Parts: sequence; structure tokens; C-alpha cells
Amino acid sequence: MPGAWRRVSTVNEILLWLFGAIAVTGSVYTGISRDPFRKLIAIGLLSGAVMPLLIDRGYVDIAIALSLILPVSTIVVLQLCRKGEP
Amino acid sequence: MVQQAPRGCLEVEELIPASPDQVALWVCSLVALYGAVRVITEPDTLRKLPFLNVFSFAISGIIALMIPHPLALVAAVAYFVGSTFESNAIASVYAGGMEKGEHRE
Repeated sequence: MPGAWRRVSTVNEILLWLFGAIAVTGSVYTGISRDPFRKLIAIGLLSGAVMPLLIDRGYVDIAIALSLILPVSTIVVLQLCRKGEP
Repeated sequence: MVQQAPRGCLEVEELIPASPDQVALWVCSLVALYGAVRVITEPDTLRKLPFLNVFSFAISGIIALMIPHPLALVAAVAYFVGSTFESNAIASVYAGGMEKGEHRE
């Protein structure tokens, strides 16, 4: 009978919605947190949640480059924040 | 005659993970979700960092399991090394690090 097939998300699609939500949450948490270390942790959360979105589209080389560049940028930002100096 | 599903659609029963790699993908994504929730809700900053590590390990597993491509393994290794380095750098700076001119044996 026509209409028997319902539009149901595939497994990867559900995962993409999940990691998109985690990425949005990480970006909002980066914006609202006052502590610089919490900001850096939230940026780590954001960069981790972006990776499966890139991998699922097939941009594996972009994911390799991003996963090597993002820790370097975090460590550069870490030079600016020492403990006790917000 | 078996009716074919439209392109991009799956039947509801197919959502239940059947193959072992899909089960592993679900387990990794559940671990990642737990880590992300604990990172957000943890009140202490220093306690957030182990859960950031948990999240990163789960993401590494998801990268390796999501597509069958040889470069995906390289991406998983690169992300594993990079994220562990990042978390440990944040923890080291937060804990005080080494003083200027200090030499530890």
C-alpha cells in the first residue's frame, strides 16, 4: 500500500543530529562561561563534536588537518591564561 | 512483489542495530553523550577534564568506525593524540605547571 514507508532517520543521521546538538551546546557554553579554562574545555567539546560531521561527509583529510591544528591553537591560547589571572 | 523503500528511507525495524560495527558505533556515541553531559554539568573545573578525555576517546572510536576508509584510521589516531595532548596541557596549566627556572628531578 502506498504510504506504508515512513520517513525514518538512518543511524548515521541520528548521530549527526546528536553531535550537532553537542557542538551547539559547546559553543553556547563557550560564550556564557566566565572562567578561561572552562572556555577552553568547551572549545575542546566543540571541536570534538565537529569531527564526526566532517568524517560522515568524507572529508577525512580536513579532519586530520583540523585534529592536528586545534590542539596547537588551544596551547597558544593557554599561554595567555595562568592560574589566578582571569 | 516486495515494495522498495524510497531512497534515503529505512524501515523502523532497520533502526535496531544489526551488524556488530553499528553496535560499536552506538556504544561509542552513548559514551560520548555521557561525557559531554558530564562536562557541561560538572561544577568543578578540574573534574571536567577527565570527562573531556572520555568524550575525546569516544569521538576517536566514532571516527574509526563511521566510514570504512583507510584514512579514517589516520584521522582517529591524529585526533586521539591531539585531544589527549590538549586536555593534558589544560590540566597542567590549571594545576600550576612548572615555575620559571624550576628544575624537577
